[in-house]
Amino acid sequence: MLLRKIGALVSTNQRFIPLTATAVLAFAAYGAGAYFYSGMREPQVFFNLFRANHYLLISAIGMTFVILTGGIDLSVAGVVALTTVASAALLRGGWSPWAVMLLMLAMGTALGAIMGSFITYLKVQPFIATLAGLWFARGMCFFISDDAIAIDNRIYRILGQTKLLIPGLSNPVTKEGGFISILAVVAFFVLIVAIYIAHYTRFGRTVYAIGGNEGRNEQSARLMGLPANRTKMLVYTLNGFCSALAGITLSIYVSSGHGLYAQTFELDVIASVVMGGTMLTGGSGYVFGTLFGVLIYGVTQTLIQFNGQLSSWWTRIVIGALTLMFIGAQSLLAARKGGRQATKTGALASPATLRNRRVLLVGGGAIVVIVLGVLVSNATRNAAGGSSAETPTALTAACQFKPFRQDQAASLMAGGAIIAYERNGGPNCIDELYAVYPDGRIVGDDGTNRVEKQVTSTGVEKLLSDITEKGWFTDEMYDTWHTPCGQCYGYYLTVYYKGQEKTVKAVDGGTDAPADYWQVVSIINGVIPHFEPAP
Amino acid sequence: MTQFISSFTWKKVTENRLFFPLVALAFILLFDLIFEPGFFTITTREGNLHGSLVDILRNGSIVSLLAIGMTLVIATGGVDLSVGAVMAIAASVAALLMNPYVLAKELPPNLLQLINDPQFTYQPLWVVIPVTLIVAAVCGLWNGLLVAYGRIQPMVATLILMIAGRGIAQLITNGVRIQIFYEPYAYIGQGWIVLPFSLYIVAFVFVIAWMVTRRTAIGLFIESVGINFRSSFFSGINEKRIRLLAYTFCGLCAGIAGLVASSDIKTSDASNIGLTLELDAILAVVIGGTLMAGGRFSLLASIVGAIIIQATTTSMYAFGVPAFALQAIKAVVVILVILLYSEQVRGFVRKIAG
Repeated sequence: MLLRKIGALVSTNQRFIPLTATAVLAFAAYGAGAYFYSGMREPQVFFNLFRANHYLLISAIGMTFVILTGGIDLSVAGVVALTTVASAALLRGGWSPWAVMLLMLAMGTALGAIMGSFITYLKVQPFIATLAGLWFARGMCFFISDDAIAIDNRIYRILGQTKLLIPGLSNPVTKEGGFISILAVVAFFVLIVAIYIAHYTRFGRTVYAIGGNEGRNEQSARLMGLPANRTKMLVYTLNGFCSALAGITLSIYVSSGHGLYAQTFELDVIASVVMGGTMLTGGSGYVFGTLFGVLIYGVTQTLIQFNGQLSSWWTRIVIGALTLMFIGAQSLLAARKGGRQATKTGALASPATLRNRRVLLVGGGAIVVIVLGVLVSNATRNAAGGSSAETPTALTAACQFKPFRQDQAASLMAGGAIIAYERNGGPNCIDELYAVYPDGRIVGDDGTNRVEKQVTSTGVEKLLSDITEKGWFTDEMYDTWHTPCGQCYGYYLTVYYKGQEKTVKAVDGGTDAPADYWQVVSIINGVIPHFEPAP
Repeated sequence: MTQFISSFTWKKVTENRLFFPLVALAFILLFDLIFEPGFFTITTREGNLHGSLVDILRNGSIVSLLAIGMTLVIATGGVDLSVGAVMAIAASVAALLMNPYVLAKELPPNLLQLINDPQFTYQPLWVVIPVTLIVAAVCGLWNGLLVAYGRIQPMVATLILMIAGRGIAQLITNGVRIQIFYEPYAYIGQGWIVLPFSLYIVAFVFVIAWMVTRRTAIGLFIESVGINFRSSFFSGINEKRIRLLAYTFCGLCAGIAGLVASSDIKTSDASNIGLTLELDAILAVVIGGTLMAGGRFSLLASIVGAIIIQATTTSMYAFGVPAFALQAIKAVVVILVILLYSEQVRGFVRKIAG
């Protein structure tokens, strides 16, 4: 009886299934995290989800509209990066911050409008037009600046650092306790406006009307006299605006601008929208659901940070698996709908197709279970160690390269070391500085901990001769320090041998460093002691 | 009468699929001829040919390989966004098979042998290459299953592997850049037999793909599926299997490209190998005149497209345009090419031409 009631409830409210599933999943994941890591029970960890992902939310809201019309916008990452670089450059040039923000919003809107008009009036596929937009925007970043530009502006600082205390969870006198940032409030404001636009305006209704059913709905909407062209164009314009806004908040958040910010960000945005229950074919979904999609993304990232053992690429795998599951579920729901129609029309959606989709859904679910299983087994192993002490403060935008500790390396060399070797960045944002002494002592420090290892002095001599055999002391200077990538390491290496000293710095993926350099780095990596992964 | 004949042959020439790509390539080379002295110089070193033109072909071989697979996928009306990620997976698998010692906690006892003996490897080449290619083909098969049997939009289905693939590659190598010291493997990307060895690989894959699509009915089936998969289904073509084949082949091509890329830089760089190359591959196919909507395709034109991309890149480098800024120029090129092929613009031009 109860089951039948639930069944009836489900079948009448079928359109809410993806939304509910997302919300349940987000809170269940958070609950599981709080169960394993006592640190996650701090309310501030929850608020940090919004603090760290505000720009993802803003961008995903714009993307929701695009996907609702059955389109896609891959250019968001490029527009975000371009906005950060351009605003940083303008601020450095002494512009007023408000003028910069307005200009950036105008720029994003204009870029969106251009792409929208290509898609709408020249019938270029959305995927291609926005891909070109992505390349164009990212390329323009590097016409402005190759390097990261720091932002030092009072208003940006105020916007980025003001803590809005949450009543009931904070102490207004000492100004401590739960808080959210102004940027998160901006994101929520955008969310509310977007919900209003989607559900209470003509534009919003037209957006829903033209999406879905492989473009046939667009045809019907056109025949009904809805302004399909104008709406499509406006949707991309709106998304351009949202991307620019996300770029502004990101530049405030990290107080710098760089053309390599927000790499593969478009994938995160699309995944968040899909996890939020919006159909990628368009026509069905809720802007509100996107909030939960972003939350799932944030919770996944937080869990992986709290775990400490898992590298950041696990975020990608988990998000990929979850996206697959949601797409599978959507596809199944669509098939059930289509199946009912098919019995009348005799179309292609046969029982066999339905079975295929079920197999797919079960397969997708199995993959998710396996991934989560690995995560949980890792998590339980760590939970015993009590890995919950610190609140993650890492910027999620990108692992920031720190400047090399050149002075410290020089003082190590002056102190009798023959090799000073620094490794910086990487997927886990490390900064390790090692010194090798002629007597075989190898000392490393990563800012907080020290490791030490003793090898024989002949071992050190062997190491040195191996390095110098690779042509280390040639006349050529290699200094390939350039724009860092998200998960690369930067290397800073000084070697002293028979009265000669040479320093080379390079970054992973720098194709202009000779292969010998990587071999040298790999030899040294093989000899130095390793830090235990952070507890 | 003579006018009729000349306009007829001219039309025939311009309607050839290779016409526009070749004209574009000719323009770029003309540009180089005028502004870059020495661009066309080809020298022989130890019997091998070297020079800017050879470099263009050599550096374009990875995108050419991807473009061959991508052409078939796009011809079925789909797209494969995951090729870059599959390249990274293939490179990681290959590197791990040859040099798994990096992942060991302890220093391997044979570290120096590993570094100093170029013939030393954990698994020989005849194990490494098939296993890697099988893994890559399985990645393609997965995409094909989602698209053909799951009925998920191709862009979305392959997006999943694009998101997760690089993470999987990092997982395989545990986030380490694995160095490859095994010389025979390096030959794949760095060897020369008069011309760079990778060119022979491209030629081999091209000939296989061309034989399969043009000497059997499969090419026709692929075009028919791309034009209208429903009518193909009703006329007795197993459209699911055709799509599955196209995606699997595309994954295989991405695997070969991953081998070439990783052997060229002698590492498994899971976070950088093949990054944004899916875009280049799609661009090459589009320049080659295959419509994104599917249908008629030309493998040779796609390869010419890949060479055009590489020629542009090399010429821009010669002018000192920074690598990242190149993307903006590429974007403009894409839009121009797309507009050149779009019905709207063609109709407009035809109207003007009368």
